[in-house]
Amino acid sequence: MRKVAVVGAGMTKFMRRAQETGKELAWQAARMALDSCELTLKDVDCVVMGTAPDAFDMIHMKAEYLSDGAGAWRKPYVRGFLGGGTGVFTADQAWYHVASGLFDVCLAVTEEKMSSCLPHPQGAFVTCWDQYTESPLGTSLLWFFAWEMNRYMTMHGITERDIAAVSVKNKKNALDHPCAQLAAEITVDDVMKSEIMAWPVKRLDVSPTSDGAAALVFVSEDVAKRITDKPVWVEGVGWCLDTMYIGQRDLYYPKYVEYAARMAYDMAGIKEPRKEIHIAEPYDPFDYKELHHMEGLLLCDKGEAPRLLADGVTQRTGNLPVCPSGGLLGVGNAIAASGMIKVAELFWQLRGEAGKRQVPGKPQRGVAQAWGDEMQVGTVIVLGV
Amino acid sequence: MPVDKVTQVAQTKPLHGEIPVYAQYTFGIAGEKFFRELKDNGRLMGVKCPECNLIYVPPRIYCERCFSELTEWLEIPNRGVVHTFTVSHIDLDGNRLKEPVIVALVKFDGVYGGLVHRLGRVEADKVSIGMPVEMVLKSKTKRVGSILDIDYFKPV
Repeated sequence: MRKVAVVGAGMTKFMRRAQETGKELAWQAARMALDSCELTLKDVDCVVMGTAPDAFDMIHMKAEYLSDGAGAWRKPYVRGFLGGGTGVFTADQAWYHVASGLFDVCLAVTEEKMSSCLPHPQGAFVTCWDQYTESPLGTSLLWFFAWEMNRYMTMHGITERDIAAVSVKNKKNALDHPCAQLAAEITVDDVMKSEIMAWPVKRLDVSPTSDGAAALVFVSEDVAKRITDKPVWVEGVGWCLDTMYIGQRDLYYPKYVEYAARMAYDMAGIKEPRKEIHIAEPYDPFDYKELHHMEGLLLCDKGEAPRLLADGVTQRTGNLPVCPSGGLLGVGNAIAASGMIKVAELFWQLRGEAGKRQVPGKPQRGVAQAWGDEMQVGTVIVLGV
Repeated sequence: MPVDKVTQVAQTKPLHGEIPVYAQYTFGIAGEKFFRELKDNGRLMGVKCPECNLIYVPPRIYCERCFSELTEWLEIPNRGVVHTFTVSHIDLDGNRLKEPVIVALVKFDGVYGGLVHRLGRVEADKVSIGMPVEMVLKSKTKRVGSILDIDYFKPV
């Protein structure tokens, strides 16, 4: 397979309620990504679109609706979908469009407009449970997160306060992000005092719902060498799905994230991720998920992530900066777009273009990961320079 | 009701009005059997994959690991343990509940999988992971073939 580089990135502001339609958001991000590498729509051979459940935008077949905003007019176009895992998977998909040799320039666009769904996008999940064993109980998404967080805490003796520190870190990091929706200086006590939703999950453990879009430009090696002296290479991709039956999963540990990470690390020739990964953007729609995913990404032992956090290792100035962007907790959670801004953050960081968010020490390699679907998918990408 | 074949297109008529969209799912082959046993006999059933040596609950007609057809049904104990739980304070629309509900994932000895259900006859602060619980059924006359035929699980 051919080498593939990321050469451009763009994103909109993330916000609770955008005036722009979904396709206008997609266009803003896509146009910014193309402008950033001085390409035009004419240079684009194909487009991949990542967008999560139709029900969020309340538009059936929304990738088709979004297509013109994504730059797909009269081009090969496909939608990738792995629920919350979509954003990073869209980057994986763009990689294989180019790596396969079929296309030289692939524009990857992600979008979510969650403010259309009222009273809350949670309603979109009413039909995603088993119709007979789960739905009649009034099953809520929050229950699943609470079950995982509780089990993670219980298995390792981790406290709610240990976990709340993730929310504090990421919202603070987001203060330096120009597109952030919920950047703030808060304390662990603030998180602990916030409203209980489904114990142990409290309001400030959770990322906000958002409207937003993000885009990346993937090109073949020869195109990359022609148009930039700062290509960021896709070194590995991976994805993996676990069982749909929640009772059959290890809720305290995301095994499927580990499998996805191993696939990507093998491709990248990474033997010791703890030494070879310099910066990580794991998916953090909930604070405990950042810790969960650090472990699944093999960046520390099981149950060890809270200690790295407490020791400052995962701060922007630490040895392994984690979510220097501010993550979903700080920048916002526009599902598919949030996965992709994690890849975009690696792109900016590895090129030294992350501005006030720039981690010191010239990082050479990073991993981004998303999670979701029915809480059983891991999607991973490794970028390097 | 069957109608006579229409042979003149002019005889076809448009229908006017609102079309409320709703879904009517089927239980499926495994679900039909599982819920019928629960309703009629008050029994929890699982199904075994002899290839993988796993007993699946909820039961199904195929093994997701080896793709075998599964036909070996067996009753599973009505006692299990709390694998994990939450105390939910809001409903699906985000409204505060007057009384929070405790919902758990209950696992059964020797069974691969488990059931999601409410816990009853216990205070939230008394629930812990690993706690033994027992299924409490509605009376036979009130059972309709639903997961809600199980009223809740209570501490043993």
